[in-house]
Amino acid sequence: MDYIITTKQLTKKYKSFAAVNNVSLNIRKGSIYGFLGPNGAGKSTTMKMLLGLTAPTKGSFTINGKQFPNDRLSILKEVGSFIESPSYYANLTGRENLDIIRRILGLSKSSVADALELVGLSEFGGRLAKKYSLGMKQRLGLAGALLGRPPILILDEPTNGLDPSGIHEIRNLIKSLPGLYDCTVLISSHMLSEIELMADDIGILNHGRLLFEGSLDELRQNALQSGFAADNLEDMFLSMIDKDNVSRKQRAKL
Amino acid sequence: MRTFAIELRKEKRTGVIPLMLAVGILGAVYAFVFFLVQKDTLLNLPLAPMDVLLTQLYGMIMVLNMFGIIVAACIIYNMEFKGSAIKKMYMLPMSIPTMYFYKYLILIIMFFIVIVFQNLALTIIGLTDLPQDTFEFETLLSFAGYSFITSVPVLSFMVLVSSRFENMWVPLGMGVAGFLSGMALAASNNMFLCVHPFVIMLKPAVAMSAQPDTIVVIFSLVETAIFLFSGLWAAKYLRCE
Repeated sequence: MDYIITTKQLTKKYKSFAAVNNVSLNIRKGSIYGFLGPNGAGKSTTMKMLLGLTAPTKGSFTINGKQFPNDRLSILKEVGSFIESPSYYANLTGRENLDIIRRILGLSKSSVADALELVGLSEFGGRLAKKYSLGMKQRLGLAGALLGRPPILILDEPTNGLDPSGIHEIRNLIKSLPGLYDCTVLISSHMLSEIELMADDIGILNHGRLLFEGSLDELRQNALQSGFAADNLEDMFLSMIDKDNVSRKQRAKL
Repeated sequence: MRTFAIELRKEKRTGVIPLMLAVGILGAVYAFVFFLVQKDTLLNLPLAPMDVLLTQLYGMIMVLNMFGIIVAACIIYNMEFKGSAIKKMYMLPMSIPTMYFYKYLILIIMFFIVIVFQNLALTIIGLTDLPQDTFEFETLLSFAGYSFITSVPVLSFMVLVSSRFENMWVPLGMGVAGFLSGMALAASNNMFLCVHPFVIMLKPAVAMSAQPDTIVVIFSLVETAIFLFSGLWAAKYLRCE
């Protein structure tokens, strides 16, 4: 199998608390990988480690055959990212914000208009970013990730703050990306219903541990074997989390 | 150079460049007005005319410069924290210490322009208002260099603290505290107090002679290097967790 991102026993500990615990991910090239888990499961921390924003306590990972920290700059050239909340210069317009990123990445001027067009912000490109609504800031953050159409996208809850039509629009955009220019998307969410509509593969994380990794079909089979209806993956996901929480409590009592 | 151009673009609408230009112009205007009003009193002081021109006007000019540096350093990093823009920079293929260095360089260049404006005003006053043949251009150049060198430690210190605190009030408060403590300590002859960057900047203002003090210059250069390299080091090793 052609994996573009692999992690080996990736661990992040803050004193005695393990935010991410021995997580081994395998993300196929050209796929959309949904990273699922409740709030505080360790999704963002894992993504931050992949971007070099925080150092792993243990374990390693490769992105497109390159390793952190030695290949940090060349990895970041190939990865478009959006973590937690949009990051922008409040004193600059949306277009100027993207132009800063474009210059850092050494892209052509047309890439800014292309990214604005992709996220539907073209007509607001000249407005100061601080005057954007939350949804527009979210789109700007996404445009920053999509700038230059990078081969790998790491998106942490990119639809937060968007209205239902915005969620639908961004979801369709993300879904279309691998077909549009052959990219791989790692996207996180705490809602299976959200991920179900666009992901090819999923990884379920709870309290820093990876509970499941596989395709949606495999998750469906898993659901059937566990006595859940295959069309109700949300229940399957929630029970998986509950079961893990119960066993954690039992382990803690022992 | 590409990072320098990017950093300059980021400064748009922050007010850093207009602020520093305003400090230079205000300092120059102050020198003209003060000398015009106090000319006779100043020239009757028991000091050489060049010492009068350079040291007696420098106090207020230095205060203006100091507050200009404090505010500009706070703004230049605050725009990275506002909107979490720095987080995006960490995720891009660029060197954060290089970004730090070019921010520092922008402030140094702007401060150099400030000094040029103010010393142009002093040159005009010296040529028109000092007794004939008492204006010495070399002395003015030497004092301008001295005031620049002694101001850079404060600039380096302020960029360093501004880069470490997301809340702009923290570096701003440190700047004001530095100014007040510097004012209290500057008149002392204890050279050990020169470890305080604000004391160094105040030294030319409390001196009665326009001749640069070598020990103060050495302290300035050492502190500038320490603060600059500390800032570059911190920018390299501390990530946004």
